[in-house]
Amino acid sequence: MPLDVVVCLKQVPNPDLQFQVAPDGRDIRRDALNYKTNGADEVALEEAVRLKERHGGHVVALTAGPKRAESMLREALAKGADEAVRVAFDDAGSFDAGKVARILAAALRTIKHDLVLTGVQSDDLAGSATGGLVAGLLGLAHASVVTRVEVKGPELEVACELEGGFERITALPMPALLTIQFGANVPRYAPLPAIMKAARASIKEVGPSALGVASWDAFSGPYAFRVRRLSPPPSKGRAELVTGRVDEQAKRLVRLLREKGFVRG
Amino acid sequence: MDVLVVAEHLDGVLAPSTLELVAKARTLVSASGGGVKAALLGSGTTDLADALASHGVDVLHVEDPALAAYTSGGYVQALQFLVTRLAPRAVLVAHTAEGYDLAPALAAAADLPLVTNCVDVALEGDVLVATRRMYNEKVQGEFEIASDRTYVVTLRPGVTAPAGPAPGGIVTSTSIAIDADRIRARFVRLSRPEVSDVDLAQADVIVSAGRGIQKKENLALVEALAKRLGGVVGASRPLTDNEWLPKTRQVGQSGRTVRPKLYIACGISGAMQHVSGIKDAGLIVAINTDPSAPIFEVAHVGFVANVLELLPAVLKELGG
Repeated sequence: MPLDVVVCLKQVPNPDLQFQVAPDGRDIRRDALNYKTNGADEVALEEAVRLKERHGGHVVALTAGPKRAESMLREALAKGADEAVRVAFDDAGSFDAGKVARILAAALRTIKHDLVLTGVQSDDLAGSATGGLVAGLLGLAHASVVTRVEVKGPELEVACELEGGFERITALPMPALLTIQFGANVPRYAPLPAIMKAARASIKEVGPSALGVASWDAFSGPYAFRVRRLSPPPSKGRAELVTGRVDEQAKRLVRLLREKGFVRG
Repeated sequence: MDVLVVAEHLDGVLAPSTLELVAKARTLVSASGGGVKAALLGSGTTDLADALASHGVDVLHVEDPALAAYTSGGYVQALQFLVTRLAPRAVLVAHTAEGYDLAPALAAAADLPLVTNCVDVALEGDVLVATRRMYNEKVQGEFEIASDRTYVVTLRPGVTAPAGPAPGGIVTSTSIAIDADRIRARFVRLSRPEVSDVDLAQADVIVSAGRGIQKKENLALVEALAKRLGGVVGASRPLTDNEWLPKTRQVGQSGRTVRPKLYIACGISGAMQHVSGIKDAGLIVAINTDPSAPIFEVAHVGFVANVLELLPAVLKELGG
């Protein structure tokens, strides 16, 4: 059975960077950041493309984000997505996951889907909330932390990773939403000709009016949301940091290991 | 107003995070002026309900064959019923694989405000103030959520001291009609952890490799150090995902929780899920090029260095 798959992607600041809080304390400083596709979302995209390759179908890459997120959607097209849609919700921090989920759910109502995939967690906000919220808002069956997906007739059978090496096998009817975990696959690199082609592809842009509302505020949840303050995390200050020349660091580490009795001979 | 805790259990064992939720709920009700109640959903779970109540918490025990294994559909039905009946100020759920499957589903189904993966949460009048860690643990954020509806909160495990044993907890058997036909994501089976070639949980010395080693070939450096120190090699998630090492070598929340005398983290940034698996180690040494890496928050001694340069120098210094 061919599958209509929508994969929800988020462009995030490279998590390996150092971050500073903006002067007003309501966001991080964004002037010197570089952005990438959220790690788990890349795995979700790869899973979507593999499902299409196995069963036939169509993959739409969907994001809610600013113009810069188009580079991520082009990468998704180069890796096998057939179509790209950007919901033009330009809120740099997007700290209110409930609002983002309501916007994505509204967009998904306009796109045919048997299956919606997204990453289990975003590298920037680490909430693991958006996928489950979207499923709940759309009334889709859902499973989280998925590392294996099998299509069995009209149903899916998936493996959900739990703590401590346990795994829960779950069966669910379609349409369904799955949040995909690292390790489900190893994402492919985009071949050069596909990158060239994706550079010229058109990306559908969706504004509030296309979703039947006057502004994004229409998607606020049953609560008022406010960023009080961002700050560097309070340091527990446990690690004594050793810097300097590598040979001196090595001596220091070996001395420590000997003092603590970890080196025999 | 009451605060409702959702108890988590798997394979007949109560999750340690449940007692952390109880402790946090107590601090919340001291502001909201209610009591702490815990919902324990299951089937044949009387012992677990009693065990939970022995921590001084009132347990609403909902038993139904349809709740024998966790499903979001079954749990959401039961919890929606309890939320309607008790109108708690907040529902606390652990930020675990089960918790972050459940909490968003409950929030969406009952149209409730949700905030997840909190390291702390407080009530200031009617406003919920949630403290979260973001951007690879490098930024902390405080968020205010104001609503007259029940807040759904997931709390990160391991950040709150658990509630201890205390008298006074009562188990109340609560009957809720669960419509099994409305449970669409069906439980099929539970698969237990694989038996390992090396038991990380028993090791005194673990040298773990992370993304910083860059190539599979460079694992040899980590292996050499582990061998020299009489230890075993562990790994952070990206390495086992790439199949550079077997899954059984993964240290962290979804892999093995370890408590060696010595843990050396080589090129591991220190994601929450890794750090929660090592925090009870005796001596934690971390090597990372990024001085802002969160691994240095839990390490006792940190070396700001490229592992691929430092490890050869260390091996040379150790000789043999």
